[in-house]
Amino acid sequence: MSFTFESLIPFAPELILVIAALTVMIIGLFMETSSKKLLGYFSIVALLASIAVIIAKGVYEVELTGLLAGSLTIDPMSQFFKLTFLLVSLLVVIASIKEFEEHSNQDEYYTLILLGTVGMMIVASAVDIVTMFIGFELASLSTYVLAGFNKNEPKNIEAAIKYFIIGAVSSTILLFGLSYLYGLSGGLTNIDELANFFSMNTELLISPMGIMALVMITAGFGFKMALVPFHMWAPDVYQGSPSVISALLAAGSKKMAFVAAFRVLLIAMIAMKVEIGILFAILAVVTMTLGNVVAVGQKSIKRMLAYSSIAQAGYIAMVFVVVTPEALTGGILYVMSHAFMKAGAFITVGAVCYVLLKQNSKAQDVDHIDNFAGLGKRSPFLAFSMLLFLFALAGIPPTAGFVSKFILFLAVLKADYLYLVVIAILNSALSLYYYARVVKYMYVLPPASDEKMSVPTPYVLAIVLAMIGVLAIGIVPEPFVEWAASAAEVLF
Amino acid sequence: MQSIYLSLILFLPLIGAALTFFIKPREIARVVALVFSVIPLFITALLLTTFKSGSGFHFEESYIWISNLGINYTLGVDGISMPLILLNAILCPLTIIYSWGEHKNANQYFALLMILQAGVFGVFMALDFFLFYIFWELTLIPLYFLISIWGGPNKDYAAIKFFIYTHVASLVMLLGIFALYFSTNLNTFYIPDLLGAFAGLDDVMKAAIFLSIFFGFMVKMPTVPFHTWLPDAHVEAPTAGSVLLAGVLLKMGGYGLFRVLLPMIQDMGTYQGQIITIMAFFGVLSILYGTFAALAQTDLKKMVAYSSVSHMGFVMLGAAAFNVMSVSGAMFQQFSHGLITAVLFMSVGVIQHNVHTRVISELGGLTKKMPKLSFIMMAGFMASLGLPLMCGFVAEFLVLTGTYLTMHVFALLAFLGIVATAGYHLWALQRAMFGSFNEKLGDIKDTVSYEWIPMGILVLLIIYFGVNPAPVLEIFQAASSVIPGVELI
Repeated sequence: MSFTFESLIPFAPELILVIAALTVMIIGLFMETSSKKLLGYFSIVALLASIAVIIAKGVYEVELTGLLAGSLTIDPMSQFFKLTFLLVSLLVVIASIKEFEEHSNQDEYYTLILLGTVGMMIVASAVDIVTMFIGFELASLSTYVLAGFNKNEPKNIEAAIKYFIIGAVSSTILLFGLSYLYGLSGGLTNIDELANFFSMNTELLISPMGIMALVMITAGFGFKMALVPFHMWAPDVYQGSPSVISALLAAGSKKMAFVAAFRVLLIAMIAMKVEIGILFAILAVVTMTLGNVVAVGQKSIKRMLAYSSIAQAGYIAMVFVVVTPEALTGGILYVMSHAFMKAGAFITVGAVCYVLLKQNSKAQDVDHIDNFAGLGKRSPFLAFSMLLFLFALAGIPPTAGFVSKFILFLAVLKADYLYLVVIAILNSALSLYYYARVVKYMYVLPPASDEKMSVPTPYVLAIVLAMIGVLAIGIVPEPFVEWAASAAEVLF
Repeated sequence: MQSIYLSLILFLPLIGAALTFFIKPREIARVVALVFSVIPLFITALLLTTFKSGSGFHFEESYIWISNLGINYTLGVDGISMPLILLNAILCPLTIIYSWGEHKNANQYFALLMILQAGVFGVFMALDFFLFYIFWELTLIPLYFLISIWGGPNKDYAAIKFFIYTHVASLVMLLGIFALYFSTNLNTFYIPDLLGAFAGLDDVMKAAIFLSIFFGFMVKMPTVPFHTWLPDAHVEAPTAGSVLLAGVLLKMGGYGLFRVLLPMIQDMGTYQGQIITIMAFFGVLSILYGTFAALAQTDLKKMVAYSSVSHMGFVMLGAAAFNVMSVSGAMFQQFSHGLITAVLFMSVGVIQHNVHTRVISELGGLTKKMPKLSFIMMAGFMASLGLPLMCGFVAEFLVLTGTYLTMHVFALLAFLGIVATAGYHLWALQRAMFGSFNEKLGDIKDTVSYEWIPMGILVLLIIYFGVNPAPVLEIFQAASSVIPGVELI
C-alpha cells in the first residue's frame, strides 16, 4: 500500500481544519491578546471553507484506494454527519468571539475547537474500530480542555474533571469491549469484516466473552450518548461548562457517539441478527422518560436543557430497536435537527448569561430561570429565538423538531412498535410542560430588572444561523430528508 | 393550472402578522392588521361567486413537499369548508375592529390574532393530513400567548392547561393519522385518498383509527367530559381571544368530524352501530351538561362558555344522526354559533371593560346606563336561545328534526336541554340587564363605536341568515348529501 496525495482529496474538509488549527496555534503564540480575535475570524473562514466543500459535493460517495481504504470511508452518512458537526462548530465559534474576546488563551481555544471538530469528522468517516477510537479520543481530549476553559471558575473545573474522568472511563470500557471483538475474530478491525466474520460465527457472540464484549460496547456508547443509566455526567457537565461549549458538547460531540453507534451497533445487529432490540427498547424508554421527568423540576436552564438532551437521545435510541432504513433516516435527521435546536438554545442561554454578567459581574447562577423572567421585554430578540428553539425541541410545527419527530415516530410505528410510539408521544407532551414554563417566564412574568439587554453581534449572528437551520428543516425538509435517507441506505 | 387564491387567503394574514409585529405605533399597527385581515374576506367573497357545492374540491393547489413520504402541500375547498372559511374571514376583521382600543403591546396582540386567523384558514383548507396537523397545532401557539399575556388573574393556569390538554389530544389524533397512513399503505397523506382506502381495513383497526382521531376532535369541540379546559381558557382569555376561540377554533373540531370521520362511518363494519351511539351519546351529554352547568354559573363569561359547550353538542348530535337534514343542520349550527357566540363574548367583554365585573349578581339594571349594549346583547341572547328568524333557530331546528327521524330518544333528551337553555339566557338577562340599577357600580359609560359596530354587523348577519339561510345552508346541504352513506331525507 502506498501513500498518494490524491487519496487525501476526499478529505479536503478535514485537512483544511487541521491546517487552520495548526496555523492558529502557531500564529497565536506571537499575537497580542487584543488582536487574537482575528484568529476566531480565521477559524470561521476555515470552517466555512470546509462546509462549502461538503455542500458542493452533496450526497457523495467515493471508493477509497490506498492507505486509507478500509479504515475510513466517504459516503452520504459520513458527509451528513460531518456537515452537522461543522455547522455546530461554526455556530459555536461565531458565538465564542464575543464570549472569549478578552481571554488571553483564546488561540488555544480555537485550535481545540477545530481539532475537536476534526476528531468528530474522523469518527463520522471511520469504518475501522481503531480509527474510530482515535477520532473519539481526539475529539474528547479537546473537549475535556474546553469544558474547563475558564480555569478561574470553580464550576468549570468541576465540570471538566467530571467530564474527563467519566469520559476516560467510558472510553476504556468501550476500548476493552472492542478489544474482545478483535481477539474473538482473530485480529480484525474493519467493521464490515467483523460483521461478516461474526455473521458466520454467531456462536462466538453468545460465548461469555462475546456477551461481555457486546455489553461493554453498549455501555461505552451508552456513556457517550448519555443514555440512562449512563447519563449522570451530562447534566453536571452541561451546566458547569461555558454555555457555548455546552452547545458543542450536546450538539456536536454527543452526536459523534450516535454516528459511531449507528455504524458499529446497527451493522453488528443487522449482520449478526442478534436480538438485543429489547435491551435498547428499555434503554430508550427509560432514557426519554427519566430525562423529561427530571427536566420538569430544574431551575437552571442549562441543566434543564441537559435533561431535555438526554430525553431526545432517548427518542433517537429508538432507532436501535427498530433497525429499519426509515427509522434510521428519522434518527439521522433528528441528529441534525437536534444539533441546530440544542446549539441554538445553549447559545441563546450563553448570550443571556453574557449580558447579565456584563451588567453585574458578581451575579451568581446567571442561568437560573428567574433571570429569564420578562426576557420578552428586556430583549425581544433573545426571547423570540429561545421560544423558537424550545418549541422546536417540543416538536411543534413548523420547525425541524416537528419534522424529525414526525418522520422518526412514523417509522417506529411502521415497524409495529406501537407501545414505543405511544410512550414517546406521551413524553413529548410532558416535555411541552417544562419548555412552556420557560416561555411563560420570558413573556408573562414581569422582568427581573428594567435594564434592556443589548446583544453583541456575534451572538446575534450565531443565533440567527441556528434559527435559519431550525426553520429550513421545518419548512423545506425535502433535501434534508433525501440526504438522510441516502445516508441511511449506506448501512442497509 | 394551480389556483393561488387559497394560498393568498392563507398567507396574507401571516404576512400581515409579520408586518404588524414590527410596527410599534398602535395606530398604524391596527390599520395594517385590519387591511390584511379584510383582504381575505374579499377574496373569499370572490371565490363564493364561482363556487359550486357538492362537486368535489375547488380551487385546488398541490405542490410536492416531502416526496418519499407522500407529503404534499395540498389545499382545496368544498361545501363543508367554504362557509367556515367565510365565517373565519368575517370574524377576524370584526374582532380586530372590536380590539381597536387595545393599549397593551397592541402590535403583538394584533399579530397573534392574525396568526390565529391564518392557522384556522389552514385547517379548513388543508387536504393533506400532514399540513392539516401543522395548522391544527399552529393555532395553539397564538392563543396560548393571547391568554398568558393579556389574560385575567388566573391566566397561567388556564393557558398551560389549554396548551397541554389540547396538545395531548392532538398527539392522540396524530397516532390515528399514522395508523391510517400505514394501514392504507398508499404512501400518501392526501385525505380523500386515505378515506377512500379506509373501507378495506379490518374492523378493529378501523375502530381504533376512528376513535383516536375522534378523541382529538372531541377535545377541540369540546365534548363533555373533555371540555374542562374550555371554561378556564375562556374566563381568563381576553375578549378577542374568546371570540376567536369560541367562534372559529372550536369549529375546527366540528369541521374534522365532517371532513374526516363522517365519510368513515359507512365503512365502519361491525362497530358502526356502537360508534354512532357513542357520538350521539356524547352529543346529548354535552347539550345537557353544558346547559345545566351554564344555569349554575355566577360569572357571565363562564355561562357563555358553557353555552358554547351545549351548542357544540348539537353539532355532534346532528352528525351522529347521519341524515342530510341533521348533518347539514349541524354544519349550519357551526356557522351560526360562530356568529352568535362572537356577539355574546363581545357583549360580555364590554361589560367587563366598562363595569369591571362579570358576576351576574353584582350587575343589574344595565339597560338604563348602557342602552346600545343592552339592545345588541339582547339580540345576541335571543339568537343564542334559538329565537325563530335568527340563524340559531334554523340550525337547531334542522338538527333536532333530523335527529328525531333516526334516533327519537336522543332527540327528546336534547329537547330538554332547549328548555333549560331558554331559562339560563333569560334569567341572566333579567338579573344583569333589567331590574333596578345597582348604584354601587357607579357611573358607567355605554359601549363605544368600535365595539358596537362589529357587534351590530354580527347581529345583522345573524338575522339575515335566520330569515334567509339558503345561501349558506344550500352549500351545506349539497355537501352533506355527497358524504357516503348519509341518508337523504
